[in-house]
Amino acid sequence: MSASENALKTTVGPALKMQQLELSLANTSILQDINFAIKAGEVHCLVGPNGGGKTSLLRCLLGQMPHRGTVTIDYSQSPDELPRVTGYVPQQLHMEKTLPLTVNDFMAIACESLRPVFFGRSKARKVICDELLDRVGLGANKRRRPVGSLSGGERQRLLFAQAMIPQPSLLLLDEPLSSLDQGGARQLIDLIAECSSRGTTIVWVAHELSLVREVADSVSCISRRLLATGSVDDVLNNIDPDILYRPVSDSVEAVL
Amino acid sequence: MDNLYESLRQWLQQLATQGDLPLSFQYGFVINALLCALFIGPLLGAVGTMVVTKKMAFFSQAIGNAAMTGVAIGVLLGESYTEPYVSMFIFCLLFALALNFTKHNSNLSADTLIGVFLSISLAVGASLLLFVSAKVNTHILEAVLFGSVLTVSDTDINVLILVSILVVAIGGPLFNQLLLASLNPSLAAARGARVKLLEYIFVIIITVLTVACLKIIGAVLVEALLLIPAAAARNVISSMRGFVFLSMAIATVSCFAGILIPMEFDLPIPSGGAIVMVAALFFIITTLIALLSPRFQRAGL
Repeated sequence: MSASENALKTTVGPALKMQQLELSLANTSILQDINFAIKAGEVHCLVGPNGGGKTSLLRCLLGQMPHRGTVTIDYSQSPDELPRVTGYVPQQLHMEKTLPLTVNDFMAIACESLRPVFFGRSKARKVICDELLDRVGLGANKRRRPVGSLSGGERQRLLFAQAMIPQPSLLLLDEPLSSLDQGGARQLIDLIAECSSRGTTIVWVAHELSLVREVADSVSCISRRLLATGSVDDVLNNIDPDILYRPVSDSVEAVL
Repeated sequence: MDNLYESLRQWLQQLATQGDLPLSFQYGFVINALLCALFIGPLLGAVGTMVVTKKMAFFSQAIGNAAMTGVAIGVLLGESYTEPYVSMFIFCLLFALALNFTKHNSNLSADTLIGVFLSISLAVGASLLLFVSAKVNTHILEAVLFGSVLTVSDTDINVLILVSILVVAIGGPLFNQLLLASLNPSLAAARGARVKLLEYIFVIIITVLTVACLKIIGAVLVEALLLIPAAAARNVISSMRGFVFLSMAIATVSCFAGILIPMEFDLPIPSGGAIVMVAALFFIITTLIALLSPRFQRAGL
Protein backbone atom coordinates (compact mmCIF):
# COMPACT_ATOMS: atom_id res chain seq x y z
CA MET A 1 0.00 0.00 0.00
CA SER A 2 1.48 3.35 -1.03
CA ALA A 3 1.76 6.39 1.20
CA SER A 4 -1.06 8.19 -0.59
CA GLU A 5 -3.53 5.41 0.14
CA ASN A 6 -2.82 5.91 3.79
CA ALA A 7 -3.11 9.64 3.32
CA LEU A 8 -6.88 9.65 2.70
CA LYS A 9 -8.49 10.46 6.02
CA THR A 10 -11.81 9.41 7.40
CA THR A 11 -14.45 12.01 6.76
CA VAL A 12 -18.20 12.35 7.11
CA GLY A 13 -19.95 13.35 3.93
CA PRO A 14 -23.24 15.24 3.81
CA ALA A 15 -26.70 13.87 3.07
CA LEU A 16 -28.30 15.57 0.08
CA LYS A 17 -31.96 16.31 -0.56
CA MET A 18 -33.64 17.91 -3.53
CA GLN A 19 -37.23 19.08 -3.14
CA GLN A 20 -39.37 20.45 -5.96
CA LEU A 21 -36.17 21.31 -7.82
CA GLU A 22 -36.86 23.15 -11.06
CA LEU A 23 -34.56 24.91 -13.48
CA SER A 24 -35.35 26.99 -16.55
CA LEU A 25 -32.80 28.84 -18.63
CA ALA A 26 -33.75 31.26 -21.41
CA ASN A 27 -37.39 30.14 -21.24
CA THR A 28 -36.42 26.50 -21.74
CA SER A 29 -37.23 24.07 -18.99
CA ILE A 30 -34.14 22.06 -18.08
CA LEU A 31 -35.31 20.29 -14.93
CA GLN A 32 -38.81 19.82 -13.55
CA ASP A 33 -40.12 18.51 -10.29
CA ILE A 34 -36.99 16.74 -9.11
CA ASN A 35 -37.42 15.15 -5.68
CA PHE A 36 -34.94 12.70 -4.27
CA ALA A 37 -32.48 12.20 -1.47
CA ILE A 38 -28.97 10.81 -1.20
CA LYS A 39 -27.80 9.34 2.09
CA ALA A 40 -24.58 10.50 3.72
CA GLY A 41 -21.57 8.56 2.47
CA GLU A 42 -23.36 6.97 -0.49
CA VAL A 43 -22.11 6.68 -4.05
CA HIS A 44 -25.09 7.90 -6.02
CA CYS A 45 -25.10 7.66 -9.81
CA LEU A 46 -27.11 9.87 -12.12
CA VAL A 47 -27.94 8.16 -15.39
CA GLY A 48 -30.06 9.30 -18.31
CA PRO A 49 -29.86 10.40 -21.92
CA ASN A 50 -27.68 13.25 -23.27
CA GLY A 51 -29.29 16.62 -22.73
CA GLY A 52 -31.36 15.24 -19.87
CA GLY A 53 -30.13 17.80 -17.33
CA LYS A 54 -27.61 15.73 -15.36
CA THR A 55 -24.82 18.32 -15.57
CA SER A 56 -27.32 21.06 -14.72
CA LEU A 57 -28.37 19.09 -11.65
CA LEU A 58 -24.74 18.86 -10.50
CA ARG A 59 -24.37 22.60 -10.97
CA CYS A 60 -27.54 23.15 -8.91
CA LEU A 61 -25.82 21.17 -6.16
CA LEU A 62 -22.82 23.49 -6.53
CA GLY A 63 -25.12 26.49 -6.18
CA GLN A 64 -24.23 27.76 -9.64
CA MET A 65 -27.69 27.70 -11.19
CA PRO A 66 -30.74 29.96 -10.70
CA HIS A 67 -32.92 27.02 -9.66
CA ARG A 68 -36.22 27.00 -7.83
CA GLY A 69 -37.08 24.59 -5.05
CA THR A 70 -34.65 23.55 -2.37
CA VAL A 71 -31.33 21.77 -2.40
CA THR A 72 -30.21 20.75 1.06
CA ILE A 73 -26.64 19.77 1.78
CA ASP A 74 -26.98 18.39 5.26
CA TYR A 75 -23.78 18.15 7.28
CA SER A 76 -25.63 17.58 10.58
CA GLN A 77 -24.00 14.15 11.02
CA SER A 78 -20.53 15.59 10.51
CA PRO A 79 -18.61 16.86 13.56
CA ASP A 80 -17.74 20.56 13.30
CA GLU A 81 -14.00 19.94 13.34
CA LEU A 82 -14.07 17.83 10.16
CA PRO A 83 -13.48 19.86 6.99
CA ARG A 84 -16.45 20.28 4.62
CA VAL A 85 -14.97 20.32 1.17
CA THR A 86 -16.74 19.89 -2.16
CA GLY A 87 -14.60 18.42 -4.93
CA TYR A 88 -15.83 18.87 -8.49
CA VAL A 89 -14.72 17.13 -11.65
CA PRO A 90 -16.14 18.98 -14.66
CA GLN A 91 -16.87 17.11 -17.85
CA GLN A 92 -14.03 18.54 -19.92
CA LEU A 93 -11.29 21.12 -19.81
CA HIS A 94 -11.15 23.20 -22.96
CA MET A 95 -7.90 24.99 -23.52
CA GLU A 96 -5.78 26.42 -26.28
CA LYS A 97 -3.17 23.89 -27.37
CA THR A 98 -0.26 26.29 -26.90
CA LEU A 99 -1.20 27.95 -23.62
CA PRO A 100 1.99 27.80 -21.51
CA LEU A 101 0.34 26.04 -18.60
CA THR A 102 1.86 22.72 -17.58
CA VAL A 103 0.20 19.93 -15.61
CA ASN A 104 2.11 21.15 -12.54
CA ASP A 105 0.94 24.72 -13.19
CA PHE A 106 -2.66 23.56 -13.43
CA MET A 107 -2.40 21.78 -10.08
CA ALA A 108 -0.93 24.99 -8.63
CA ILE A 109 -3.65 27.31 -9.89
CA ALA A 110 -6.35 24.90 -8.74
CA CYS A 111 -4.89 24.03 -5.33
CA GLU A 112 -2.77 26.98 -4.17
CA SER A 113 -5.08 29.70 -2.96
CA LEU A 114 -2.90 32.80 -2.58
CA ARG A 115 0.56 31.98 -3.86
CA PRO A 116 0.74 32.95 -7.55
CA VAL A 117 1.58 30.04 -9.85
CA PHE A 118 4.76 31.74 -11.13
CA PHE A 119 6.23 31.47 -7.62
CA GLY A 120 5.73 27.69 -7.71
CA ARG A 121 4.10 25.51 -5.07
CA SER A 122 4.85 24.98 -1.42
CA LYS A 123 6.82 21.76 -0.76
CA ALA A 124 3.99 20.12 1.16
CA ARG A 125 1.48 20.91 -1.59
CA LYS A 126 3.86 19.61 -4.24
CA VAL A 127 4.18 16.26 -2.45
CA ILE A 128 0.40 15.85 -2.26
CA CYS A 129 -0.08 16.91 -5.89
CA ASP A 130 2.61 14.50 -7.12
CA GLU A 131 1.09 11.58 -5.19
CA LEU A 132 -2.32 12.22 -6.69
CA LEU A 133 -0.98 12.72 -10.20
CA ASP A 134 0.79 9.37 -9.80
CA ARG A 135 -2.42 7.73 -8.68
CA VAL A 136 -4.41 9.02 -11.65
CA GLY A 137 -1.65 7.90 -14.00
CA LEU A 138 -0.01 11.20 -14.87
CA GLY A 139 3.61 10.25 -14.24
CA ALA A 140 6.61 12.54 -13.87
CA ASN A 141 7.12 12.59 -17.67
CA LYS A 142 3.71 14.23 -18.20
CA ARG A 143 3.89 16.91 -15.55
CA ARG A 144 5.97 19.43 -17.46
CA ARG A 145 3.81 19.12 -20.55
CA PRO A 146 1.32 21.88 -21.43
CA VAL A 147 -2.20 20.84 -20.49
CA GLY A 148 -3.33 21.86 -23.98
CA SER A 149 -1.20 19.10 -25.47
CA LEU A 150 -2.75 16.35 -23.34
CA SER A 151 -5.31 13.94 -24.74
CA GLY A 152 -8.93 14.03 -23.58
CA GLY A 153 -8.37 11.12 -21.23
CA GLU A 154 -5.24 12.67 -19.72
CA ARG A 155 -7.14 15.89 -19.06
CA GLN A 156 -9.86 13.92 -17.29
CA ARG A 157 -7.22 12.33 -15.08
CA LEU A 158 -5.88 15.81 -14.29
CA LEU A 159 -9.35 17.14 -13.48
CA PHE A 160 -9.87 14.20 -11.15
CA ALA A 161 -6.57 14.80 -9.37
CA GLN A 162 -7.39 18.44 -8.58
CA ALA A 163 -10.77 17.47 -7.14
CA MET A 164 -9.00 15.32 -4.53
CA ILE A 165 -7.11 18.32 -3.08
CA PRO A 166 -8.03 19.05 -0.39
CA GLN A 167 -9.66 15.69 0.30
CA PRO A 168 -13.38 16.18 -0.39
CA SER A 169 -16.28 15.26 1.86
CA LEU A 170 -18.64 15.68 -1.10
CA LEU A 171 -17.41 14.68 -4.54
CA LEU A 172 -19.35 15.68 -7.66
CA LEU A 173 -18.24 13.83 -10.80
CA ASP A 174 -19.48 14.78 -14.26
CA GLU A 175 -18.75 11.83 -16.55
CA PRO A 176 -15.18 11.51 -15.28
CA LEU A 177 -14.51 8.33 -17.26
CA SER A 178 -15.94 9.22 -20.68
CA SER A 179 -12.59 9.52 -22.50
CA LEU A 180 -10.53 7.13 -20.42
CA ASP A 181 -8.90 3.91 -21.48
CA GLN A 182 -9.65 0.83 -19.37
CA GLY A 183 -6.57 1.20 -17.21
CA GLY A 184 -7.40 4.82 -16.49
CA ALA A 185 -11.01 4.01 -15.70
CA ARG A 186 -9.82 1.34 -13.25
CA GLN A 187 -7.47 3.78 -11.51
CA LEU A 188 -10.23 6.35 -11.05
CA ILE A 189 -12.79 3.76 -9.96
CA ASP A 190 -10.34 2.62 -7.28
CA LEU A 191 -10.01 6.22 -6.10
CA ILE A 192 -13.77 6.71 -6.11
CA ALA A 193 -14.23 3.52 -4.11
CA GLU A 194 -11.54 4.53 -1.66
CA CYS A 195 -13.07 7.98 -1.14
CA SER A 196 -16.39 6.32 -0.54
CA SER A 197 -14.89 3.94 2.00
CA ARG A 198 -13.57 6.96 3.93
CA GLY A 199 -17.06 8.46 4.17
CA THR A 200 -17.23 10.85 1.24
CA THR A 201 -20.63 11.33 -0.36
CA ILE A 202 -20.29 10.95 -4.11
CA VAL A 203 -22.65 12.05 -6.87
CA TRP A 204 -21.52 10.63 -10.16
CA VAL A 205 -22.96 11.32 -13.62
CA ALA A 206 -22.23 8.11 -15.52
CA HIS A 207 -23.05 6.25 -18.70
CA GLU A 208 -21.11 3.04 -18.07
CA LEU A 209 -23.85 0.91 -16.53
CA SER A 210 -21.55 -2.01 -15.69
CA LEU A 211 -19.37 0.32 -13.62
CA VAL A 212 -22.46 1.83 -12.03
CA ARG A 213 -23.53 -1.63 -10.92
CA GLU A 214 -20.07 -2.24 -9.51
CA VAL A 215 -19.61 0.94 -7.49
CA ALA A 216 -22.93 2.69 -6.87
CA ASP A 217 -25.06 2.36 -3.76
CA SER A 218 -28.06 4.05 -5.37
CA VAL A 219 -29.07 5.39 -8.76
CA SER A 220 -31.37 8.03 -10.19
CA CYS A 221 -32.44 8.18 -13.81
CA ILE A 222 -33.03 11.70 -15.03
CA SER A 223 -34.38 13.00 -18.28
CA ARG A 224 -35.62 16.51 -17.49
CA ARG A 225 -37.75 14.77 -14.85
CA LEU A 226 -36.87 12.15 -12.31
CA LEU A 227 -37.78 8.87 -14.00
CA ALA A 228 -36.66 6.55 -11.23
CA THR A 229 -34.62 6.57 -8.07
CA GLY A 230 -33.62 3.85 -5.64
CA SER A 231 -31.23 0.95 -5.28
CA VAL A 232 -29.02 0.01 -8.21
CA ASP A 233 -30.90 -3.20 -9.02
CA ASP A 234 -34.35 -1.64 -8.70
CA VAL A 235 -33.58 1.20 -11.05
CA LEU A 236 -31.37 -0.48 -13.63
CA ASN A 237 -33.41 -3.70 -13.85
CA ASN A 238 -36.74 -1.98 -14.25
CA ILE A 239 -35.94 0.93 -16.50
CA ASP A 240 -36.49 0.59 -20.23
CA PRO A 241 -32.90 0.60 -21.54
CA ASP A 242 -34.07 2.49 -24.61
CA ILE A 243 -34.67 5.57 -22.48
CA LEU A 244 -30.96 5.92 -21.88
CA TYR A 245 -30.25 6.06 -25.59
CA ARG A 246 -33.18 8.03 -26.96
CA PRO A 247 -33.20 11.77 -27.59
CA VAL A 248 -34.60 13.60 -24.60
CA SER A 249 -37.99 14.63 -25.92
CA ASP A 250 -38.82 11.05 -26.94
CA SER A 251 -37.79 9.54 -23.66
CA VAL A 252 -39.82 12.02 -21.63
CA GLU A 253 -42.90 11.32 -23.70
CA ALA A 254 -42.32 7.60 -23.44
CA VAL A 255 -42.64 7.77 -19.70
CA LEU A 256 -45.35 10.39 -19.40
CA MET B 1 8.75 61.27 -1.55
CA ASP B 2 9.58 64.24 -3.77
CA ASN B 3 12.78 64.90 -1.78
CA LEU B 4 13.75 61.29 -2.30
CA TYR B 5 13.29 61.61 -6.07
CA GLU B 6 15.25 64.86 -6.03
CA SER B 7 18.24 63.35 -4.22
CA LEU B 8 18.14 60.29 -6.48
CA ARG B 9 18.13 62.55 -9.52
CA GLN B 10 21.03 64.63 -8.19
CA TRP B 11 23.07 61.53 -7.41
CA LEU B 12 22.52 59.99 -10.87
CA GLN B 13 23.13 63.32 -12.61
CA GLN B 14 26.42 63.61 -10.75
CA LEU B 15 27.42 60.12 -11.87
CA ALA B 16 26.55 61.08 -15.46
CA THR B 17 28.68 64.24 -15.36
CA GLN B 18 31.57 62.20 -13.96
CA GLY B 19 31.18 59.91 -16.96
CA ASP B 20 30.09 56.83 -14.93
CA LEU B 21 26.65 56.77 -16.59
CA PRO B 22 25.45 57.62 -20.13
CA LEU B 23 25.04 61.34 -20.74
CA SER B 24 21.23 61.02 -20.91
CA PHE B 25 21.25 60.67 -17.11
CA GLN B 26 22.21 64.32 -16.86
CA TYR B 27 18.56 65.16 -17.46
CA GLY B 28 16.16 64.93 -14.55
CA PHE B 29 13.24 63.99 -16.81
CA VAL B 30 15.11 60.97 -18.15
CA ILE B 31 15.65 59.72 -14.63
CA ASN B 32 11.94 60.28 -13.91
CA ALA B 33 11.01 58.28 -16.99
CA LEU B 34 13.41 55.46 -16.08
CA LEU B 35 12.00 55.36 -12.56
CA CYS B 36 8.56 54.88 -14.11
CA ALA B 37 9.93 52.19 -16.43
CA LEU B 38 11.15 50.30 -13.38
CA PHE B 39 7.50 49.86 -12.35
CA ILE B 40 5.79 49.85 -15.75
CA GLY B 41 7.93 47.10 -17.28
CA PRO B 42 7.45 44.31 -14.74
CA LEU B 43 3.82 45.23 -14.10
CA LEU B 44 2.68 45.39 -17.71
CA GLY B 45 4.76 42.30 -18.49
CA ALA B 46 3.11 40.26 -15.73
CA VAL B 47 -0.45 41.54 -16.19
CA GLY B 48 0.01 41.12 -19.95
CA THR B 49 0.33 37.34 -19.57
CA MET B 50 -3.14 37.30 -18.04
CA VAL B 51 -4.47 39.69 -20.69
CA VAL B 52 -3.20 37.38 -23.43
CA THR B 53 -4.53 34.27 -21.68
CA LYS B 54 -7.94 35.84 -21.15
CA LYS B 55 -7.96 37.16 -24.75
CA MET B 56 -8.57 40.70 -23.60
CA ALA B 57 -5.86 42.43 -25.65
CA PHE B 58 -8.18 44.96 -27.18
CA PHE B 59 -9.83 45.76 -23.92
CA SER B 60 -6.82 47.77 -22.77
CA GLN B 61 -6.72 49.47 -26.16
CA ALA B 62 -10.29 50.59 -25.55
CA ILE B 63 -9.28 51.90 -22.12
CA GLY B 64 -6.33 53.77 -23.66
CA ASN B 65 -8.71 55.44 -26.08
CA ALA B 66 -11.16 56.17 -23.30
CA ALA B 67 -8.33 57.95 -21.50
CA MET B 68 -8.27 60.50 -24.34
CA THR B 69 -11.87 61.35 -23.47
CA GLY B 70 -10.78 61.48 -19.83
CA VAL B 71 -8.05 63.98 -20.64
CA ALA B 72 -10.45 66.11 -22.70
CA ILE B 73 -13.04 66.13 -19.93
CA GLY B 74 -10.30 67.02 -17.45
CA VAL B 75 -9.21 69.98 -19.53
CA LEU B 76 -12.83 71.11 -19.98
CA LEU B 77 -13.39 70.91 -16.22
CA GLY B 78 -10.28 72.93 -15.58
CA GLU B 79 -8.08 70.16 -14.20
CA SER B 80 -4.34 70.57 -14.81
CA TYR B 81 -3.87 69.51 -18.42
CA THR B 82 -0.55 67.83 -17.75
CA GLU B 83 -1.93 65.62 -14.97
CA PRO B 84 -5.70 65.20 -15.38
CA TYR B 85 -5.68 62.00 -13.30
CA VAL B 86 -9.01 62.51 -11.52
CA SER B 87 -10.94 62.78 -14.80
CA MET B 88 -8.94 59.99 -16.42
CA PHE B 89 -9.38 57.54 -13.55
CA ILE B 90 -13.07 58.29 -13.07
CA PHE B 91 -13.97 58.25 -16.75
CA CYS B 92 -11.91 55.17 -17.62
CA LEU B 93 -13.22 53.21 -14.62
CA LEU B 94 -16.82 54.05 -15.53
CA PHE B 95 -16.12 53.09 -19.13
CA ALA B 96 -14.50 49.78 -18.13
CA LEU B 97 -17.25 48.86 -15.67
CA ALA B 98 -19.90 49.69 -18.28
CA LEU B 99 -18.11 47.47 -20.81
CA ASN B 100 -17.84 44.59 -18.38
CA PHE B 101 -21.44 44.96 -17.24
CA THR B 102 -22.63 44.90 -20.86
CA LYS B 103 -20.46 41.85 -21.51
CA HIS B 104 -22.14 39.96 -18.67
CA ASN B 105 -25.61 40.95 -19.76
CA SER B 106 -25.52 40.62 -23.52
CA ASN B 107 -25.51 37.78 -26.00
CA LEU B 108 -22.66 39.31 -27.99
CA SER B 109 -19.25 37.70 -27.88
CA ALA B 110 -16.53 39.53 -25.96
CA ASP B 111 -14.50 40.49 -29.04
CA THR B 112 -17.52 42.02 -30.79
CA LEU B 113 -18.46 44.00 -27.73
CA ILE B 114 -14.92 45.22 -27.09
CA GLY B 115 -14.73 46.24 -30.77
CA VAL B 116 -17.90 48.30 -30.37
CA PHE B 117 -16.63 50.01 -27.23
CA LEU B 118 -13.19 50.52 -28.76
CA SER B 119 -14.65 52.37 -31.74
CA ILE B 120 -16.92 54.46 -29.54
CA SER B 121 -14.08 55.43 -27.22
CA LEU B 122 -11.82 56.34 -30.15
CA ALA B 123 -14.49 58.45 -31.86
CA VAL B 124 -15.50 60.29 -28.70
CA GLY B 125 -11.92 60.63 -27.44
CA ALA B 126 -10.48 61.96 -30.70
CA SER B 127 -13.38 64.34 -31.27
CA LEU B 128 -13.32 65.76 -27.76
CA LEU B 129 -9.53 66.03 -27.67
CA LEU B 130 -9.44 67.96 -30.93
CA PHE B 131 -12.32 70.08 -29.64
CA VAL B 132 -10.34 71.13 -26.57
CA SER B 133 -7.02 71.26 -28.38
CA ALA B 134 -7.49 74.99 -28.97
CA LYS B 135 -7.17 75.42 -25.21
CA VAL B 136 -3.91 73.55 -24.77
CA ASN B 137 -0.50 73.30 -26.26
CA THR B 138 -0.59 70.58 -28.96
CA HIS B 139 2.53 68.92 -27.56
CA ILE B 140 0.34 67.82 -24.67
CA LEU B 141 -1.90 66.03 -27.14
CA GLU B 142 1.04 64.27 -28.73
CA ALA B 143 2.21 63.24 -25.29
CA VAL B 144 -1.20 61.80 -24.45
CA LEU B 145 -1.37 59.87 -27.70
CA PHE B 146 2.19 58.59 -28.04
CA GLY B 147 3.87 59.17 -24.70
CA SER B 148 6.68 61.51 -23.83
CA VAL B 149 9.52 61.29 -21.36
CA LEU B 150 9.66 65.09 -21.24
CA THR B 151 6.43 65.48 -19.33
CA VAL B 152 6.93 62.92 -16.55
CA SER B 153 6.56 64.67 -13.20
CA ASP B 154 6.92 63.61 -9.57
CA THR B 155 3.13 63.34 -9.41
CA ASP B 156 3.20 60.82 -12.26
CA ILE B 157 5.76 58.73 -10.39
CA ASN B 158 3.69 58.88 -7.21
CA VAL B 159 0.53 57.79 -9.04
CA LEU B 160 2.41 54.97 -10.71
CA ILE B 161 3.92 53.70 -7.45
CA LEU B 162 0.54 53.80 -5.73
CA VAL B 163 -1.09 51.90 -8.60
CA SER B 164 1.78 49.38 -8.64
CA ILE B 165 1.35 48.62 -4.95
CA LEU B 166 -2.39 48.22 -5.46
CA VAL B 167 -2.01 45.92 -8.47
CA VAL B 168 0.60 43.71 -6.79
CA ALA B 169 -1.31 43.52 -3.50
CA ILE B 170 -4.60 42.60 -5.17
CA GLY B 171 -3.57 40.95 -8.43
CA GLY B 172 -0.82 38.74 -6.96
CA PRO B 173 -2.95 36.72 -4.54
CA LEU B 174 -5.79 36.49 -7.08
CA PHE B 175 -3.58 35.39 -10.00
CA ASN B 176 -4.37 31.67 -9.68
CA GLN B 177 -8.10 32.21 -9.30
CA LEU B 178 -8.16 34.58 -12.27
CA LEU B 179 -6.39 32.04 -14.41
CA LEU B 180 -8.58 29.13 -13.33
CA ALA B 181 -11.72 31.22 -13.84
CA SER B 182 -10.66 31.98 -17.39
CA LEU B 183 -10.07 28.27 -18.13
CA ASN B 184 -13.16 26.83 -16.44
CA PRO B 185 -15.44 29.26 -14.57
CA SER B 186 -17.55 26.47 -13.14
CA LEU B 187 -14.54 24.69 -11.61
CA ALA B 188 -13.17 27.99 -10.26
CA ALA B 189 -16.53 28.75 -8.64
CA ALA B 190 -16.67 25.23 -7.16
CA ARG B 191 -13.24 25.90 -5.63
CA GLY B 192 -14.55 29.03 -3.96
CA ALA B 193 -13.68 31.76 -6.46
CA ARG B 194 -16.22 34.52 -6.99
CA VAL B 195 -15.95 34.50 -10.75
CA LYS B 196 -17.96 37.62 -11.61
CA LEU B 197 -16.28 39.70 -8.94
CA LEU B 198 -12.88 38.50 -10.18
CA GLU B 199 -13.74 39.66 -13.67
CA TYR B 200 -14.56 43.14 -12.38
CA ILE B 201 -11.39 43.26 -10.30
CA PHE B 202 -9.29 42.32 -13.31
CA VAL B 203 -10.95 44.95 -15.45
CA ILE B 204 -10.22 47.55 -12.76
CA ILE B 205 -6.59 46.41 -12.56
CA ILE B 206 -6.10 46.83 -16.31
CA THR B 207 -7.81 50.21 -16.22
CA VAL B 208 -5.78 51.80 -13.42
CA LEU B 209 -2.60 50.34 -14.86
CA THR B 210 -3.38 51.72 -18.32
CA VAL B 211 -4.10 55.18 -16.95
CA ALA B 212 -0.98 55.20 -14.77
CA CYS B 213 1.27 54.23 -17.71
CA LEU B 214 -0.26 56.70 -20.12
CA LYS B 215 2.33 59.45 -19.68
CA ILE B 216 5.24 57.29 -20.79
CA ILE B 217 3.70 55.07 -23.42
CA GLY B 218 0.73 57.03 -24.65
CA ALA B 219 -2.95 56.21 -25.12
CA VAL B 220 -2.50 54.68 -28.55
CA LEU B 221 0.30 52.30 -27.60
CA VAL B 222 -0.20 51.32 -23.96
CA GLU B 223 -2.06 48.19 -25.05
CA ALA B 224 0.96 47.14 -27.11
CA LEU B 225 3.12 46.83 -24.01
CA LEU B 226 0.52 44.61 -22.36
CA LEU B 227 0.32 42.47 -25.45
CA ILE B 228 3.68 42.26 -27.24
CA PRO B 229 6.01 41.15 -24.39
CA ALA B 230 3.53 38.45 -23.34
CA ALA B 231 3.06 37.33 -26.93
CA ALA B 232 6.85 37.30 -27.48
CA ALA B 233 7.36 35.21 -24.33
CA ARG B 234 4.57 32.82 -25.23
CA ASN B 235 6.26 32.04 -28.52
CA VAL B 236 9.09 30.20 -26.81
CA ILE B 237 7.83 29.20 -23.36
CA SER B 238 5.75 26.29 -22.14
CA SER B 239 5.36 26.93 -18.40
CA MET B 240 3.60 29.66 -16.46
CA ARG B 241 6.69 30.68 -14.51
CA GLY B 242 8.75 31.17 -17.67
CA PHE B 243 5.85 32.93 -19.36
CA VAL B 244 5.43 35.53 -16.61
CA PHE B 245 9.11 36.17 -15.91
CA LEU B 246 10.19 36.35 -19.56
CA SER B 247 7.31 38.69 -20.34
CA MET B 248 8.32 40.90 -17.39
CA ALA B 249 11.92 40.94 -18.56
CA ILE B 250 11.06 41.78 -22.17
CA ALA B 251 8.70 44.58 -21.12
CA THR B 252 11.26 46.08 -18.72
CA VAL B 253 14.17 45.94 -21.17
CA SER B 254 11.91 47.44 -23.87
CA CYS B 255 10.96 50.34 -21.59
CA PHE B 256 14.57 51.13 -20.67
CA ALA B 257 15.84 50.81 -24.23
CA GLY B 258 12.90 52.78 -25.64
CA ILE B 259 13.59 55.66 -23.28
CA LEU B 260 17.41 55.69 -23.50
CA ILE B 261 18.08 54.95 -27.20
CA PRO B 262 16.28 58.03 -28.63
CA MET B 263 18.01 60.18 -25.96
CA GLU B 264 21.48 58.78 -26.60
CA PHE B 265 21.21 59.05 -30.37
CA ASP B 266 19.25 62.30 -30.31
CA LEU B 267 16.32 60.85 -32.26
CA PRO B 268 13.13 62.96 -32.25
CA ILE B 269 10.74 60.03 -31.75
CA PRO B 270 8.14 59.60 -28.98
CA SER B 271 9.06 57.29 -26.11
CA GLY B 272 5.93 55.17 -26.60
CA GLY B 273 6.81 54.44 -30.21
CA ALA B 274 10.42 53.59 -29.35
CA ILE B 275 9.42 51.29 -26.47
CA VAL B 276 6.94 49.38 -28.61
CA MET B 277 9.45 49.05 -31.47
CA VAL B 278 11.98 47.48 -29.12
CA ALA B 279 9.30 45.10 -27.82
CA ALA B 280 8.38 44.29 -31.41
CA LEU B 281 11.99 43.35 -32.07
CA PHE B 282 11.79 40.79 -29.23
CA PHE B 283 8.58 39.49 -30.74
CA ILE B 284 10.19 39.02 -34.15
CA ILE B 285 13.17 37.23 -32.59
CA THR B 286 11.06 34.81 -30.55
CA THR B 287 8.77 34.17 -33.51
CA LEU B 288 11.80 33.22 -35.60
CA ILE B 289 13.11 30.97 -32.82
CA ALA B 290 9.71 29.26 -32.60
CA LEU B 291 9.62 28.84 -36.38
CA LEU B 292 13.12 27.46 -36.74
CA SER B 293 13.56 25.34 -33.62
CA PRO B 294 12.23 21.77 -33.79
CA ARG B 295 11.35 22.08 -30.10
CA PHE B 296 8.33 24.18 -31.03
CA GLN B 297 7.17 22.09 -33.98
CA ARG B 298 3.40 22.16 -34.27
CA ALA B 299 0.94 19.98 -36.10
CA GLY B 300 0.42 22.62 -38.77
CA LEU B 301 -3.36 22.45 -38.77
